[in-house]
Formats: sequence, C-alpha cells, structure tokens
Amino acid sequence: MSPPPVLTISNLRARFTPSGPWIVDLPELSLAQGEQVLLTGGSGTGKSTLLHLIAGLLDPAEGRINIAGRHIHALRGPARDHFRGRHIGMIFQTFNLLAGFSALENVMVALMFSDIPRAEHADRAAKLLAALGIERQDAPPEELSVGQQQRVAVARALACGPELVLADEPTASLDPENAAAAIDLIQSACRSQNAALLCVSHDPSMQSRFQRTLNLKDLRRGGPLVPSGFLAQ
Amino acid sequence: MTDLTIILRSLRVRLFSTATTVLSVAVAVALLLVLLLMRDASHQAFARGGGNMHLLVSRDSSPLVSVLNGIFYANPPPRPITWAEYERITGNLPLEYAIPTQQGDSYLGQPVLATLPNFFTEFQPGEGEQWQLASGRFLRGPTDPAPEDAGNPPIPEAHAFEVVVGAAAAKATGLRLGDTLHLTHGTSQSRQLGDPNAMQPHVHREFTYRVVGVLKPTGTPHDRALITHLDGGWIIHAHDRRKIDDPSIKTTMMADLLERDKLITGIYVRVLTRRGSDVSASLPPVFAKLRSDPSITVAQPLQQMNTLFRIIGNVDWILRAMAVVVLVSSGVGIMLALYNSMTERRRQIAVLRVLGCTQGRIFSLVVTEAAMIGLAGAIAGILLALVGVQVVAQILRQEIGLSIPPALAPELVLSVGIGAVLLAALAGVIPALLAYRTPVANNLKPIG
Repeated sequence: MSPPPVLTISNLRARFTPSGPWIVDLPELSLAQGEQVLLTGGSGTGKSTLLHLIAGLLDPAEGRINIAGRHIHALRGPARDHFRGRHIGMIFQTFNLLAGFSALENVMVALMFSDIPRAEHADRAAKLLAALGIERQDAPPEELSVGQQQRVAVARALACGPELVLADEPTASLDPENAAAAIDLIQSACRSQNAALLCVSHDPSMQSRFQRTLNLKDLRRGGPLVPSGFLAQ
Repeated sequence: MTDLTIILRSLRVRLFSTATTVLSVAVAVALLLVLLLMRDASHQAFARGGGNMHLLVSRDSSPLVSVLNGIFYANPPPRPITWAEYERITGNLPLEYAIPTQQGDSYLGQPVLATLPNFFTEFQPGEGEQWQLASGRFLRGPTDPAPEDAGNPPIPEAHAFEVVVGAAAAKATGLRLGDTLHLTHGTSQSRQLGDPNAMQPHVHREFTYRVVGVLKPTGTPHDRALITHLDGGWIIHAHDRRKIDDPSIKTTMMADLLERDKLITGIYVRVLTRRGSDVSASLPPVFAKLRSDPSITVAQPLQQMNTLFRIIGNVDWILRAMAVVVLVSSGVGIMLALYNSMTERRRQIAVLRVLGCTQGRIFSLVVTEAAMIGLAGAIAGILLALVGVQVVAQILRQEIGLSIPPALAPELVLSVGIGAVLLAALAGVIPALLAYRTPVANNLKPIG
C-alpha cells in the first residue's frame, strides 16, 4: 500500500474579487511523499498565487487543499500558522533572509515556531548548514555569496523537517550555471529529508531535472486567463 | 533564539533610530525625575528651614520676607532691633528660648549669622535634631575657657571672634578648623541691590576670626552660613562707627560699646512646651501679644512656607505638566519611529509569518520592542537624573542656600520607570496593529 499523498488539491478556485475572473482554477493536483514536481507557466498564470494558496497565506473561493492529510484552510488563525511552520517549507526567488541575523540565526528563527525543543535548535541548525556547505555560520547574509545565501534559505526551509517544500522561482535571479547548481542543491536537500518539492519556474531548462513537469495553463479547468497578482487575504 | 533575540536584532538593525528614540525617552524621564525630586525635596527643605522655632521676630516688611531673610538668608534684614527692644519684646513671655540673631556680614559670598551660644544648644535645625560637628566645637560664652588654649593665659574677648562654619559654607569657602578670616560688611545680594559700597566691599580687617568648628550637614539653609558670636558682630560695627569719629583708634572692646551698637536683626522664638511636644497652648497668646506690637513683624515660619508654596503652586504645576508633556511626546516619538520602520519591516514580518509566527506573536513582538525602548530610555534617564540631581542640588545650595539630598527616592524611580515602560508599550500598540495586519503574500514579492 502506497503512502498517502503529501499534497492533494481538488476543485481549487481563487480570484481577486467575488465577481472577478478566476486567477487559479485547478481541478486537481497531488504530490506523493518525496515527489519532486516542476510547475511551469508563463507570467501571470497564477503560479505564485497557487503556492500562497497551498501555504495557507491566501484563502480560495472554492475547493480544498490537503497537506499531510489536513485541510489547511479549515485551520484558522494561529493553528494554520503553526501547521505551516511545521509542515511546509518555502524558498523564495530573493531568499528573503532576515537582515541583522546571522546565517545560523536565520535557520534558528524557523525552529522557534516549531515543536522542536529549544535546546536542540542551535545544534540542528548548525548541522543543517554544515551539510549544505556553510562554514561561516555566524556571518550575516550580506557577507555571504549569492550561492551561500541560497543554501541558507534552503536550510531554513528544511529546518523543521517539512513534508512539503514550495519553491517560488528559486533560480530566476541566477545565471544558468548557478541556476543548475541551485536546483540540484534544493532537490538533493529535499531528497535527503524525503520532502516533496513543488517548484515553480518559467525556465524551460529546469524540466529535465524533475520527475514530473506540469504546465499550469494545461491544468486549468478553463475560463478566462487574466494576469495574476495577489488576492486580498 | 528567543523572541528577545528577534527584538534585539530588530533594534540593532535600526541603531540610529533606536538610539535617538531611547535618548528622547531618557531626557523625558530624567527631566520628570529631577523636577519631581526638586519639588518634593525643596518643599521639605523649605519646611525644615525653621527648625524647632515657633516664631521669628524681625523688622522686615512682611512675615514672608522676614522668613526669607531671617532663615533663608535671602537678604540682610534692613531695619535692626536694639538690645533694649529685644529685652522688652521677649520679657514676661512664657518662652523656651528667644535667640537673638544679627545678619549683614558675609565671607566669600556666604552669609554670617552672629548669635549667642544657645543657638546650638536650644535651637534645633530640625524638630528633635541636634547640631552635630564634623570637627572642632561650638561657640562659647565670654567666661567659658577655650579648650584649645588650655594652660595659656586667656585672650580677652577671643570668644567674640570665633566662627563655626556650616557644612555647605565650609565646602564653598574651603575653610577648615583653625583657619583665620576677615568678614566682609554686607552680602553679595545687598551689594547687588544698590548698596553704595557695592563696588568696594568693606572688609573688617581689624578683627581676625578663627574657625573653631565645622558643622555636619543639616539640610537647612544654615548649612551655608558662618555662625559667630553676637559680641563680635557688635564690636566690629562699633569699631567702624568709632573710626569715623576718631580715625586713629586701633581697636574696640566690649567696654567701648554704646547701647546703639547693640543691634540685632531677628529673634528666633520658641514658646514653652511640654517635653517632647512641639505644640503649645501658649503659642496663640504669645503670637497675638507679639503681633500687637506694630514696630515688629512676627512670622510663623511653617505657615509662611505654606503661603510661599501656594504662590508658586501654579509654577510647580506647570513644570510638572511640562515634564509629563515631554514624556508623552517621547512616547509619540516611539510610536512614529516604530510606525515608520514598519514600511521596511513588512518583508521581515511576512517571512516570520511564513515560518509559522502567529499574528498575535507579531503584535507582541512589536509591543515588547516598544517597551524595551521605554526600558532602555528609563534606565538611561535614571542615570541622567542622578547626575542632574547632583548638579541642581549644588546650584540650589550655592545660589539660594537650599540643601536638598541629591539622591533619588527608590519608589519615585520605580514609579517613573514603570510609567515610562508602560507608556512606551502603549505607544507600540498602533505600529503593532499595523504589523499584525501586514499582508503576507504581497510582501514576499521580489524587490524591484
């Protein structure tokens, strides 16, 4: 018997305003445990919006998203925040590392909001960074190279041992060589923790690196396609 | 890693803004503390000024002026009382003491009070408090031997030229036990107020005084006075009078004094009371009887101080209101600093939310950050106030003779400190609400 999927989406619809066009209109999607999927699509097809819906940062108008067996939008307020911190890791195009914090602290911040005992935080973060090749763990992000900053961002996303990692255009600001290295790093890190990876990218060269590639345009149920943005939360 | 770490990092990232906000709180706290301390301490010091006397008799223009001149050494009382009048005024009254005082001379700007030795034995600087010596001894009478001259032939009328120096006066003039000095006719205030000798103060060089005692601080205006024997005061002024008639005379003795040389400027009066009590049924009739004499002014020091407090009450209230306004404006400063920082911190807040931080925790982080600015400002303000109090206390002691303890009361410090922290936390509520409502998805977009 195969393990239950980490992510299942059914009949998901989201739009800016109650009478506006659908920005996201996705009949179904699922990711198995440890599966790595690339989600492609042109600009404005709602890729980032979909990731924010999956992370519970936005609410859909219709449909259901289950993560690790839980309907994330049924969770309210702090419960959803705790759930996201525990089960979902996010990697951003510009890394979004916290200014004023060292590399180690950037990873430890993620652990602050988890159930992992505080005494283990420093050790766990240090080991994770070391495994990703970060030696100067006390250095602030601005003193690290772009590649090292990306490794810190990956370590932060994986710090709490999430079942699902969402990567939003993680290579968009990198040259092809560094982009390949970065995606290798993300994939191998997720593989090492058996975390499913849903990576959004408009870079066609990424397709060959994933087990499965989905085009959001193909997945749409139909209806008008409008430039995407962010929904009111 | 704790919430405190996040707050400290956030404060460090905006170091300049944090430092200026902390400074504004510190200045407000220090100002409030100094003002409150000065107010309380000066009220106490003013109230203590009269010591254990019940009444002050003089020829000043009003009871309040009498107290300001006779106790606080504001100016030498302009109209004297003769010794005969003193005996008439104080005769046949149920008095515990009636100590004559004479003002008008000074030494290096410090006032001189000529009186009798019972000033130190009967008049108390505070109710139930005795005078205490830091060194030496008190004044003595004409027939009392000087302990330091034991075995030597007594020097005639040496008692008249002995000085006991108040604690603040000793500090201001540098006088020590055994030092000698010459008094100056008039005071710096009287010279400033149009005394014809203002430009050339007259120094009584013919008579050398000797310091025989230095007092411990009493927290009263007398700390800045030099206290001498009344006989000396009479002799040096009689000598001036005699020199006008006969410039060749070298000295003046008690025997040379005329009745008109025996002048005083005030009388410290205490009516008879039961032992250990400051209240006397005799006080109202004595007061009434003395007031019936139109040639003198009779003041109840404590009552006059209350009158003074009422007069300056509005100023007092304005000062306190100003201090509170400064504190509130520093609270507004905290709010603005945090509010403005929210623009640049939206991304940080969004990232924290993605990592699992709840909206409530974001709110509490910002409020705690504001409270920590308040706490840092309060601590810096208290330290600033400790320095400020020393400076103000010194100025008050030197300029108006008001001795106040240059220390902050723990309960005052605690209440102002807690108030500053609470006010700062309150100032953090609006920025915290802004942070609470920060849209996450919008603020995760790549910059540019």
